[in-house]
Amino acid sequence: MIRGRAVIGAEILIVTSARPNKNVSSGSSEAMSDLLGRVATSGDRAAFGELYDYFAPRVKGYLMRGGSPADLADDLAQETMLKVWRKARLYDPAKAGAATWIFTIARNLRIDAARRAAKPTLDPDDPSLSPEGEQPADERMERADRDKKIKAAFEALPEAQHEVVRLHFIEDAAHSEIAERLGLPLGTVKSRLRLAFTKIRKELGDLDA
Amino acid sequence: MRNIRHHPKPETLAEYAAGRLDEARSVVVSTHLTLCKECSRSVVDFEALGGACLETVEPEAMQAGSLAAFWERAGDQDILVSPSMHGFEAANDFSLSAAQPLGAYLDVDVDRIKWRAVAPGVSQHVLDAEGYRDGVLRLLKIAPGVQLPMHTHKREELTLIIRGAYRDAIGEFRPGDLADLDDDIEHAPTAFGDEDCICLIATSAPLVFKDLIGKIVQPFVGL
Ligand SMILES: [Zn+2]
Repeated sequence: MIRGRAVIGAEILIVTSARPNKNVSSGSSEAMSDLLGRVATSGDRAAFGELYDYFAPRVKGYLMRGGSPADLADDLAQETMLKVWRKARLYDPAKAGAATWIFTIARNLRIDAARRAAKPTLDPDDPSLSPEGEQPADERMERADRDKKIKAAFEALPEAQHEVVRLHFIEDAAHSEIAERLGLPLGTVKSRLRLAFTKIRKELGDLDA
Repeated sequence: MRNIRHHPKPETLAEYAAGRLDEARSVVVSTHLTLCKECSRSVVDFEALGGACLETVEPEAMQAGSLAAFWERAGDQDILVSPSMHGFEAANDFSLSAAQPLGAYLDVDVDRIKWRAVAPGVSQHVLDAEGYRDGVLRLLKIAPGVQLPMHTHKREELTLIIRGAYRDAIGEFRPGDLADLDDDIEHAPTAFGDEDCICLIATSAPLVFKDLIGKIVQPFVGL
């Protein structure tokens, strides 16, 4: 994936301590993908209800971390799940996992909300940033497997790296604000992120170990 | 498509996947993604990482009766049950990239753009991509042989070559190549070849020209 000037493989590992609490097992996310698969094949409302109970509160939490007030976050979380429901028949369990798919839908709604706030008259169908387009992936079969490996590699990260990756994807704060909150120099936050990404790509076999 | 030699940094793709980039830089990255399978795949990887992070978010309780309200909102629109996926693109087989991200910002073809001259051999066309966060998106057209003044960047700049070519201290950039520069890099790109070099440039802050000529040119270049 890397070409040119970015030399991230040469970074030195700084933290190797194990992470104390992992409260989400990889089993549960596979269970969620299976549930979504059931919704996809049979329109199973009970299965969707379980999915809703698991993801809607997490999506709401995600949107609130992105700065949405609780009411709006509640509404957008519901809208996220509505998109999941309406498109569920197009869900293919061999591709991206449920969490990945739902993340991208929630992220796009978060971006749309930010754009609407900045430009109230904006056409909501403006095609710029948040399309849920199709991807001509050539490694289609491999995708679900990659998702699992990425999740496992994320959970195995040292606590310090795990935390900055989480904040990177969830918080709407700039990296400099995240650094301030953690009491770290900005450079440390950035190098931890790079280390984490490098480590995950090694786990995927994209880089030499 | 020829081999693309210059790609966004992984950190930039990770910012894109997290929805952290301003609109201008998102357009540049997503346009590159339509041309570059390698980076598209990285973005999907980062989205999977985002999915893993989503599962670690502290849940916020939904309002009482939320699921019932959900079914009301969904109406009786049952999902269409299709026993075979045949004929469908899977909805979760995606990337963030639209078919023609740049095209959505251009009301005319590249050949019909009304360029505004900003210096001899250099003209620009500013695109409206200031939807959220700071950032300026522009097309720059540089005549072959013309060199831009040496400059650095206060924050990040992304440049995607649309047509023609330029070279600078980093290397040669051709269509599809993306230069992902930050503040410690200074460069003075020179267009070369037979045709004008057209670049799509996103800047998150004004460029800072380094030498005297740059200082003179800057106000009138409007960069
Ligand atoms: Zn690329």
